Amino acid sequence: MNLVEHFRRLFAQGPQPPGTEEVERLRAEFAARYRCFRDLLSANQRALEALAELEQAQAGDYSPTMAFVRGRVTATAVNVFRMIQNLEALAPDRYPGLRESFKAVQASVEAALGSAPAPTEGPLVLPLERAASGGEALSGPKMAVLGRVAAELGLAVPPGLVITTRAYALVVKHNGLTEEIARLLQIADLERMDSLLATCSQIQGLFMRAEIPPELAQAVQEGLAALAPAGLEPLRLALRSSAQGEDAPGASFAGQFTSELNVEPSRWDEAYLGVIASLYSPPAVSYRRHMGLRDEDAAMAVGCLAMIPARAGGVAYTADPLDPGAPGVLISSCWGLPKAVVDGTWDCDQFRVSPGPPPRLADSQVAAKERRYVCDPVEGVLPTLVGPELRQEPSLSRSQALELARAALKLQEHFHGPQDVEWALDQGGKLYILQCRPLPSGRAEDQGALVSGAEEKLILRGGVTASPGAASGKVRWVQTGGDAVAFEEGEVLAVEQPLPRWAPLLGRAAALVGVKGGAAGHLASVAREFGVPALLGVGPGGRELAPGREVTVDAGGRAVYAGRLPLPGRPAMAKGLPDTPVRRALAQVIAQAAPLNLLDPEDPSFTPEACRTLHDLTRFCHQKAVEEMFSHAAQEHFPLNAARQLYYHAPMQWWIIDLDDGVRRPLSGKYVRPEDILCAPFHAFWEGLLEIPWQGPPPLDAKGMASVMFQATANPALATGVKSNLAERNYFLITKEFLNLQSRVGFHFSSLEAMVTPLAADNLVSFCFRGGAADPARRRARLAFLEEFLAGLGMAVSIKGDALLARAEELPAPECLAMVKALGYLIMHTRQLDMIMASPQRVEHYRAKIASDLASLGPPADV
Amino acid sequence: MSPFKVLVVDDERDFLESLVRRLQRRSVDAAGVTSGEAALEHLKVHKADVVVLDVKMPGMNGIEALRHIKQLYPEVEVILLTGHASVESGVEGLALEAFDYLIKPVKLDELIERIMEAFDRRKVVGDLAGSPPPKQG
Repeated sequence: MNLVEHFRRLFAQGPQPPGTEEVERLRAEFAARYRCFRDLLSANQRALEALAELEQAQAGDYSPTMAFVRGRVTATAVNVFRMIQNLEALAPDRYPGLRESFKAVQASVEAALGSAPAPTEGPLVLPLERAASGGEALSGPKMAVLGRVAAELGLAVPPGLVITTRAYALVVKHNGLTEEIARLLQIADLERMDSLLATCSQIQGLFMRAEIPPELAQAVQEGLAALAPAGLEPLRLALRSSAQGEDAPGASFAGQFTSELNVEPSRWDEAYLGVIASLYSPPAVSYRRHMGLRDEDAAMAVGCLAMIPARAGGVAYTADPLDPGAPGVLISSCWGLPKAVVDGTWDCDQFRVSPGPPPRLADSQVAAKERRYVCDPVEGVLPTLVGPELRQEPSLSRSQALELARAALKLQEHFHGPQDVEWALDQGGKLYILQCRPLPSGRAEDQGALVSGAEEKLILRGGVTASPGAASGKVRWVQTGGDAVAFEEGEVLAVEQPLPRWAPLLGRAAALVGVKGGAAGHLASVAREFGVPALLGVGPGGRELAPGREVTVDAGGRAVYAGRLPLPGRPAMAKGLPDTPVRRALAQVIAQAAPLNLLDPEDPSFTPEACRTLHDLTRFCHQKAVEEMFSHAAQEHFPLNAARQLYYHAPMQWWIIDLDDGVRRPLSGKYVRPEDILCAPFHAFWEGLLEIPWQGPPPLDAKGMASVMFQATANPALATGVKSNLAERNYFLITKEFLNLQSRVGFHFSSLEAMVTPLAADNLVSFCFRGGAADPARRRARLAFLEEFLAGLGMAVSIKGDALLARAEELPAPECLAMVKALGYLIMHTRQLDMIMASPQRVEHYRAKIASDLASLGPPADV
Repeated sequence: MSPFKVLVVDDERDFLESLVRRLQRRSVDAAGVTSGEAALEHLKVHKADVVVLDVKMPGMNGIEALRHIKQLYPEVEVILLTGHASVESGVEGLALEAFDYLIKPVKLDELIERIMEAFDRRKVVGDLAGSPPPKQG
């Protein structure tokens, strides 16, 4: 029912006044409508806040998570729906098109959020030699490439099969993991190390407990039975991740995924679940977050290859990752399985082969190799001591190094660019390629020392430049998960061994120093990607770095200095990629949610059907709610307790709506005078408005003041374009203890709400100012200007997008009233903020004047 | 203690216990149960003014529980709290007259604020249904 119509009917009929009961019922009904209205306003605020957070994320230089984007979008949409519900409660059946528009907008937002469809077709298992035919979508890039290495180049790779991404999708679906994972990520605070670790362990637990669907079990068992690797009996397996996006340019997931080595074939399933669970290892989740990759898009194929019980193994780079211009193949090699080189665990041999032709062994550095990894006779791998006779021996002969270099150069040519090749020699000396991926290149211009002439401050020199550059910070040694949790932004990460598990810290580390390790390790490549200077393999001298000591790490100059030394300016490190899948999704979502197409409420196109974005819907609902609530309020025959015009020397453009007991009774006539008002916060506000006269033009007559107050939040440039509208009046909603002031002009909206009672716990003062259309710089300046004073009043101020929210709670009544009074003053005296923001001198002048005025305001009088 | 009673329903026991404890520390009269079924059982015996309801739970999910609660106890206000944000479930919940749909993690202050608003609305709606008019402030 339309309340206004109801009133009109009621009072148009005749002179007899409504009975007390009827008046009370109407008042209660009005109060209920007012609740709907307030609820709509609060939903409006929440929707716009969530929208502003999305826009902030878009403008920011970090990559938000998909869970964040989804959460904020949902908050926006759900609050828009609340607005629609409340508007419908205020005006039933008046805007039938709204729900349709909402549905359409919701659908387009959902589409923008939608993830790439997981493969729903194709085989669950592919033989490795046919992995390339499945493409990267099914086989994952790593196995697709390995399949091509064998098929197209004739290089030896371990025989094996690929468990495809479709199998992954099947496992996830079979066990209902999608929603559970999204939920766990949603509620986690991934910036916090402890929360990240806990969430990841929960998600990984889900995988470890998952059931392998029977059709997958059968396909894998058949595939394994068909493997008959000559010379590799008894068959043991290496399960290696092959994840989507793993080898994307600039997004190397180095070391974030688990491999399971030397697995008994009958126990493939357990190992498989362990490998796919590593899609949610802390380094992988935090890496995706940094790089803006969507968790929903993460899918993993797994290579299930015959284990090569290697005599020697390692990594070959076809270019120097720190100096891509320098020709040659860099080989890192160790005894046993290549794991030691890949993990960067122990010192290893280094060879450099110049490309030729013919290739020549240009340099070799043989390390003392005390340990190696070997296959355990039963299962898994274990470190063993290297016999003394082998320790000082090169792990590769000259001819083996050359053979490897030639293979690596072939791979570089075939795949059009420098490659990072993992390799192994079996006991008979046969070379196998285990993995091959594009080599992320360092930046040549960052080469070399950045610190010079500081020899007296030198703490240590040596090691390997794993990632160039220099930075200062306090030393933090990290050995355990507990250390990692304590790690603070901007510290220098010092480790004994550069293990992949410390990768999540690199996003916050100033620099990395490792006693062990080299440029080929996983942590090293993550450091390069994050642009964090890293100096590894500095030797036992590194242990002398005292925890908490301020040092400067010059990774390029291979030195560490005491104190914070001046460094040449470096461009800010790009810690997130500008164009990532989450960012793309965010941009699409914002395009569907944020633009405002409905501008002029007077325009005939201001309709529910014209709402094309969530922002349009909020604008429409807000406008209509204000109209529904108040636009007929000035009509005659309005009953007691409804809107009355404020009379102060003359009728003003302010209306008072008494919700309960805010006005002295009985009242007659259509006006209400300040002295009739019993609302304490109103009087405080009113005193603040009037106590110190406004000095600038226009002159302050009663009518002029109304316009002053009216314009207080207006942007003149916009206000002129918008016709005066009944809905743009200013309303005080009052009770004895409550004040709600709504003021809206064009795009600008401010509200003040105060609840002031004798009981401090119930008290609240909140002020919201939002101004939409000025240029962002001025908008920010204006908000910052206001923020300073509001904070000075003791209010908690937050700025979100173009909205300023200030709040104070649970203060004693006198303090609340003083605050309301000051807000009255500020609303009056900051009316030309936009204008003065253009001139720094005038800003200063006004700042000083406002500060001294605020200090001189007297305490609010008792009512 | 608060003048209103709150029932929290969440299958995650850790979250449930810590939330109930934190609400109680803030003088909110709160109790907790771990399923939709248990919530209905609880409401048979105990009064609640506001129910804070997890959406995704095994067995009877939050939306179903909401439907039952609103059928049996229309005066009880329900706030949905979810870790799995979805516009669809949010809209469905609000259409079933949930008071609000909040996304985890939610700040305790905000949750308490919403609980109080929900209680407020309940009061007003209850008053409209026949009891004396509200005394503001």
